[in-house]
Amino acid sequence: MLGVSAAARVAVVVVLAAVVAFPIYTSFVSALTVNGEIARHGLLPGLGSLTLANFAEVSRSVDLVPQYLVSIAVVTLQTLAQVATGALAAYALVFPRWRGKGLAFALVLLTLAIPGESIVIPNYELVSAIGLRDTVLGVALPYLAAGYPIFLLRQAFAGVPLEIWEASRLDGAGDLRSLVEVILPACRPEVTTAVVWSALSAWNGFFWPLLITDSSSSRTIQVGISQLAASEASDPSVLFAGTVLVVLPTMLLVVLAQRLLVNGLARGVLH
Amino acid sequence: MTIHLPSPETGARDQAPDQAPARTRAPRRGGRGGAGPWLVVPAVLLLGVFVVRPLLRTAELSLYASDIIGNPTRFVGLTNYGELLTDPGFVRVTLTTILIALLGTALAVTAALGAALLLRRRLPGGPAFSIVFSLPFAYSAASASAVFAGLYAPSVGILNVVLAGVGVEGPAWLSDPVAAIGAISIATGWYEFGFAFLVLTAAVRAVPPEVVEAAQLDGAGGWRLASRILVPIMRPSLLFLAVTGTISGLQTFAQIQVLTRGGPGGATTTVVFQLFQLAFGNGTPDFGRASVVAVVLVVLVTAVTVVQFRLLGGRES
Repeated sequence: MLGVSAAARVAVVVVLAAVVAFPIYTSFVSALTVNGEIARHGLLPGLGSLTLANFAEVSRSVDLVPQYLVSIAVVTLQTLAQVATGALAAYALVFPRWRGKGLAFALVLLTLAIPGESIVIPNYELVSAIGLRDTVLGVALPYLAAGYPIFLLRQAFAGVPLEIWEASRLDGAGDLRSLVEVILPACRPEVTTAVVWSALSAWNGFFWPLLITDSSSSRTIQVGISQLAASEASDPSVLFAGTVLVVLPTMLLVVLAQRLLVNGLARGVLH
Repeated sequence: MTIHLPSPETGARDQAPDQAPARTRAPRRGGRGGAGPWLVVPAVLLLGVFVVRPLLRTAELSLYASDIIGNPTRFVGLTNYGELLTDPGFVRVTLTTILIALLGTALAVTAALGAALLLRRRLPGGPAFSIVFSLPFAYSAASASAVFAGLYAPSVGILNVVLAGVGVEGPAWLSDPVAAIGAISIATGWYEFGFAFLVLTAAVRAVPPEVVEAAQLDGAGGWRLASRILVPIMRPSLLFLAVTGTISGLQTFAQIQVLTRGGPGGATTTVVFQLFQLAFGNGTPDFGRASVVAVVLVVLVTAVTVVQFRLLGGRES
C-alpha cells in the first residue's frame, strides 16, 4: 500500500517537474541547436544538430557584452550602497538612544509599502535634470538605499545581545568600529541574505532601466533581452540563446546555493 | 548591576531602555559617542529624495495638465481623475490587471504548495527535483517573458508544436484576447513559482516533526495530513505569498512589454503599461494623467496591504 502511494507521489512529482522545466529545457535545447530543430525532430534533437551559432548570432545582433557590463556595474553599485546604507541605518535604529528613532523606522516601513513602479515619473524628471540619463549612475541612483535591507538588518541587529555591543564600546570602539568589527560579524547569515536580495533585485530590475536609458550600449541586459524578443520573434533559437546568457549567473546561484536561498531569502522574508 | 538580556525573538530592542531604566549605558568616549544616530542619515536622505519626494510629487503632478513635453502647465484639480476614472477603457485596464495578478499568483502558489508538500518526505531523486522546482527563481520577469515569447510565437512557437504532438490544438496565444490574458498569467505564474517553492519549502521544513507524528498516530495520512495539519501551520507563508504575489502582479509590466504590448486591442493593457504609454509612449507625454494612474496603483497596493494586516491581525487575536 505504501509502495503504491509512494509511486503515485513520484509520478505526480515527475509530471509537475516536467511542466516546470519545459520552458527551461526547450529554451536551452533550442539555443544549442539549429533553428527549427525541435519543430522538426521533437524534444530530443540529434547530436549532429548541436551548434553554437545562435550564441554568435545573438552577440552580433545586440550589444550583449556592453549590456552585461552595465548590468554588472549596476548590481555592484546598488548592492554595495544598499548594504552599506542599510547596515549604518540599522545600527542607528537599534543601538544608540535618540529622539526620532521611531519616526525614522516608520519612514523605512512606509517605503516598503510604496510600489516602486508608481514613483518613476518624478525620479525620471530629477535624474534627467541632473544630466544622468543614459548613464550607469542614473540607473543605480534611485536605488542606492532600499527599505528591505534596512528592515532585515535591523531585525538581525536587534537579536544581538546588548552586552556584546556594550563590551565593544567599553573597549573604546567608536560606532563605526563596533558596527564593522562586532555587530556585522555576529549577523553574517542576515548580511549574506541582504547582499543576495540587493544583488538579485538590481540584476532583475527592468522598468526603471528601460525608462532612463536610450542608447543600446548603456542599457542593462534585462532591457536588452526584452528588445531581442521584439526583433527576433521569428527566430526563437537566437532569442533563446540570449535568455540562456541572461539567466546563467542567477541559475548558477540557484543550483549551487539553493540551501542558502531556502534558509536565508525564503525564511528571511517571513519576519 | 542587573543584566538585561533581551529576547532574540521579540526584536523589540527599541522598548528595552524604557522597560529597564536601571540598565547602565555604555560610557561615551571622546566626541564619537554621539555619532551613532547620525548613521541613519544616508539611508533616510536617499529614501526621502528617491521614494517619499517622488510620491508627493506624483500626487502633485496628478492635479496638473501637461504641456507637449510632459511638464505640468496649469492646475486642473481633480479633472484628470474625473476623466480617467469614468473612462470605461481605464476601468477595464484596472480589472485586467487585478485578473492577471490573481491568476498568476493562484497558479504559482497552488503549484508550489503541491510541489513542496510532495517533496516533504524522502523521495528518490528528491534533492534534484527540489533544484528543478527552484530554477524558475533564476528568471526575472523580463527574461521569463523572453522565453515565453519564443514558446508562444505564432507559426514558429514551440509550445503549440509540442501540444500538437500530444493531440492538443493550442490557441493563438498572443492574438486572441482571452488566450493572451491566459498566456500572460501563465508566464507570470511560472516565474513566480520558483520563489513560492523556496518559501513553502522553508515553511514545510519548519513544521515540527512531533506535530506530524502525532497526527499520523491519529490516523491522518496523505491528503488529510496535508489539508488539516500542514496547510494550517503554513498559513502565514501562504498568506505572505498571496499578498506579495498580488502586489507584484498589480505592477505587471515586463510581460506586457515583451509579449503583447498591451494587445490585442488593449486586452492585456495593465495599469503600469498604461502609465508607461501615457508618460513614455510614442505619443505626447502626459505626466498629469500618467500620475493619476500611478496614484491608482498606490491605492490598489495599499488596499492589498491593509487586507494583509487585517488577516494577520485576525490570526493573532
